[in-house]
Amino acid sequence: MLTLSDLRKRFGPVQALDSCSFSVERGRMLGFLGPNGAGKTTTMRAIFGLVELDEGEVRWDDRPVGLEERLRFGYMPEERGLYPRMPVEEQVVYFARLHGMTAAAARAGASRWLERLGLADRASAKLEELSHGNQQRAQLAAALVHEPDLLVLDEPFAGLDPVAVETLAELLRAEAARGAAVLFSSHQLELVDHICEEVAIIDHGRVVATGDINTLKRRSAQRQITVQLVGAPAQWSPHAAGVELVQRRNGDLRLAVSADVDPSEVLAEAEHTAQVVGFSYGPPTLSELFLELVAK
Amino acid sequence: MTARQAIGLVARREIRERLRSRVFLYSTVLLLALVGGSTALTAALHPQKTYRVAVVAPVQTGLDAALQRAAKPFSANVKLQVLPTEATARAQLKAKTTDAVVILASDRILFRANVDTKLAAIADTAVRAVRRHLPPAPELTPATLEQPKAKSSDAEVLAAMLGASMLLATLAVYGQWVLTGVVEEKANRVVEVILATIRPRHLLAGKVIGIGLLGLAQVALVGGLAAILLATGVFDAPASLGWSIALIIPWFALGFALYAVAYATVGAIASRTQDANSAGLPVTYTLVAAFFLGYVALTVDANSTLANLLTIFPLTAPLVLPARSALVGVPLWEQALAVATVVVSIYGLIRLAGRIYATALLRSGPPLDIRAALRLAREH
Repeated sequence: MLTLSDLRKRFGPVQALDSCSFSVERGRMLGFLGPNGAGKTTTMRAIFGLVELDEGEVRWDDRPVGLEERLRFGYMPEERGLYPRMPVEEQVVYFARLHGMTAAAARAGASRWLERLGLADRASAKLEELSHGNQQRAQLAAALVHEPDLLVLDEPFAGLDPVAVETLAELLRAEAARGAAVLFSSHQLELVDHICEEVAIIDHGRVVATGDINTLKRRSAQRQITVQLVGAPAQWSPHAAGVELVQRRNGDLRLAVSADVDPSEVLAEAEHTAQVVGFSYGPPTLSELFLELVAK
Repeated sequence: MTARQAIGLVARREIRERLRSRVFLYSTVLLLALVGGSTALTAALHPQKTYRVAVVAPVQTGLDAALQRAAKPFSANVKLQVLPTEATARAQLKAKTTDAVVILASDRILFRANVDTKLAAIADTAVRAVRRHLPPAPELTPATLEQPKAKSSDAEVLAAMLGASMLLATLAVYGQWVLTGVVEEKANRVVEVILATIRPRHLLAGKVIGIGLLGLAQVALVGGLAAILLATGVFDAPASLGWSIALIIPWFALGFALYAVAYATVGAIASRTQDANSAGLPVTYTLVAAFFLGYVALTVDANSTLANLLTIFPLTAPLVLPARSALVGVPLWEQALAVATVVVSIYGLIRLAGRIYATALLRSGPPLDIRAALRLAREH
């Protein structure tokens, strides 16, 4: 298990990390969310010893993380993180060897991963000759070739087309199923909602929420109601206290309500005004939860 | 992973990457061709040397033919002149109308100021043949009319210049390779993935050693060929110059260790690939200044105090020592002292620069100035 406890780091006038704590278990996938500049990349770099922390500690299986532990980690930084003029396969072999694999194991691992990621026919091409999507796959192969116990990816889904997103999501799920702890940052909240069980949300260097997504949603002070109406007055919306109109489209209303509002009262008010053809009540989406937490 | 494994992996990657670009291969072939070609040039410029030899009478018959035979392997001719007395012969030698005087009566061969070993050998062989003596006892003892001149010959000046220029060029070129390599790694963040697994000083060492070995291979091939050609007398130059040229090989290694660490450090301080060239300027200027300072000092007087100081000063020693050795020779104790000061400087620079390198490498944003970098290094 990866445990970050109370990480603090100041860069000049900026408190980049301020009490950043969360953990990722083996076999689990955690989405790491936060606005730009909240401290996501700094946190990830701290895991790899690339940031000298002012305070706090990074532990793996309850041991402080050092070079020895990091050999079992895989890291994919947001920027390329590979050599542009080096052939893909050589590059993957090199990173496998840096992670302590023997020459033979590194070669076998590299060709297996390139095959699996559909890059086998580009193995001897230079990285810079590949398309953006293929470059990212090569980067992924370099991060995964040594079958890491912990996989950390900075914005792995950025700039991918929907098919590539699905493939990558599948791959990360498989890595977690293999027993790896997977941590990745993203701005695509719906995607995270879709593929992760857990999140950590960071804002101004401080982790404001972490844990199981459904638990966090239920714990939220917000609920959402969607009402589909036929024949309602154009500008109508419920008047009950604690109800706020979020969106109106084609007669559908999306409402944000506080958790203590009784949904049946809202339904009754709507039925009084027009014909209700659809009504749903539930916890907020991850996006709403995110906005609620980081807007504070 | 042990330090050796880490350094080895990095060094091997550097070598493979540089060999892939073929610049190394082509430049090595070109330089070898230049050295080889210069032998042809020498031969073209001196098609057949004709020595003017005076012999004091009486002369045994067959000496002229024996001289021609002995000169053949050296691609030379001998023009023999018989003079009645030693005094007239000496006068001719002094007036430069003859190159050497053979005095058979006292078994001597007399030169003006410097002994021409080639001509001495030709005359010795010829006289032995005429007298039907067997080797190895020499027939003639060489002597000079005047004090040998301390002034360096053209060949020595040329060897010193070419040796120092080659050192300057290779140190700058391979140093730049280190610099751009460091900046590229930093700019595209490969360095983050690497430093998650190995220590910064091992990355630095692997880089410097990998690129340094390539440079050393080139210098050893080109310098080695030149040294061998000189030592075997292909050039019309003293064979001892071969040794001076061979000195550029170890001095490339020492100079490179010193300057490459400096290049790597300024590379780590720069942030973007566009900054790489300007970042390297302070180091390149130092290198060029060391070259010209050495050039001026050695041209004015290769035995001056300044020349002696530059021979042992760590920044100039790699460029000055081999050149000075070619010109006037450098005593062994001074060579040892120069090696010592350079090695101590390399150690000190690695300790300081290693820390700056490690901290600056992971820092993004605007480039650091040198004071900020030093402050960072002190803090860690």
